Amino acid sequence: MDELILALEECDLSEQAVCAPSDVTVLFEFREPIIEIFGFPITRTVFLIFLAALVAILILFFGLRKRATHPGKYQLSVESLMTYVRDEIAIGIIGPLGVKYYPYLMALFIFILVGNAFEITPLINFPITSRMAIPLFLALVTWVIFVFAGFKRNGISYLTGIVWPPGVPVALKPLVGLIEFVSVFFVRPFSLAVRLFANLVAGHVMLSLMLVTAFVSVVGLFTGDISVVKGLFGFAWWALALAIFMFEMIVIVLQAYIFTLLSAVYIDTSINVEH
Amino acid sequence: MEELSGAIALVGYGLAAIGPGIGIGLIAGSAVEAMARQPEAAGMVRTTMFLGIAFTEALALIAFVLFFLV
Repeated sequence: MDELILALEECDLSEQAVCAPSDVTVLFEFREPIIEIFGFPITRTVFLIFLAALVAILILFFGLRKRATHPGKYQLSVESLMTYVRDEIAIGIIGPLGVKYYPYLMALFIFILVGNAFEITPLINFPITSRMAIPLFLALVTWVIFVFAGFKRNGISYLTGIVWPPGVPVALKPLVGLIEFVSVFFVRPFSLAVRLFANLVAGHVMLSLMLVTAFVSVVGLFTGDISVVKGLFGFAWWALALAIFMFEMIVIVLQAYIFTLLSAVYIDTSINVEH
Repeated sequence: MEELSGAIALVGYGLAAIGPGIGIGLIAGSAVEAMARQPEAAGMVRTTMFLGIAFTEALALIAFVLFFLV
């Protein structure tokens, strides 16, 4: 709600077309702590992170509590989600060894899904994955897992297979090896994090600017602060924002899916090195 | 004559979006073609399509982030 108030204060639709704050980062920063626990300030973002974890745990807990032989609707949907992640992502991408990584992939998927879904949840309207800390941390965990899995399964030949790739002409080996090394150990976690982060930032900026503009226009129409034409444009903004809302629903699921899928692909490439 | 003003980073982002735009179009087009030819392989094609899109899209998204950073 803070962001709405912030944008409203600065907004003057007679001069600008869209209600945009001069610095767009105010849409993502909540500096004032809402509560302090043992000297640690808990801001709104931190609170939402814990809320996302709690919601993810509760979804799984209540979905799998009964383990009924004839599952109800809710248990069935949670179970089919888990079966999908296990069969299509963990086993489908990594192979039979993937069952070991299935709990991690499942936790990753459901946490990112809940965190993303906060973007369009009424009264929250802030995706926690649009702060770089969350995607970067998750990407680093994936990085640690696939590097350790590679060394554990293939020993030192995991590293030598990357910096001195087999099946490449000797003259090209240093160059390809260098590119592969940088790409595997530095670009992978970075691009994994940035993909999730940037998608959610773009969605949040679009939604908040459009909805605030629509709100200000329509309110201005009734109070007579702005011209009728501009006020009527507010309804068009509203329609567009609703269309973006639907689009963001797809993006939310897709980005959680892609993050999980790419984590599985990275684990797969470090376990099943082609010989 | 009025002067043009604005962020040059916007132009950079616009340029950076061209390549991934074409790339994603090619990927999705080929995926649709493959699914139409072989509907029983649709699941596998879809997974691979999302992978390809994710890798291609990264370029545009990195430019998008740079636009906010600069």
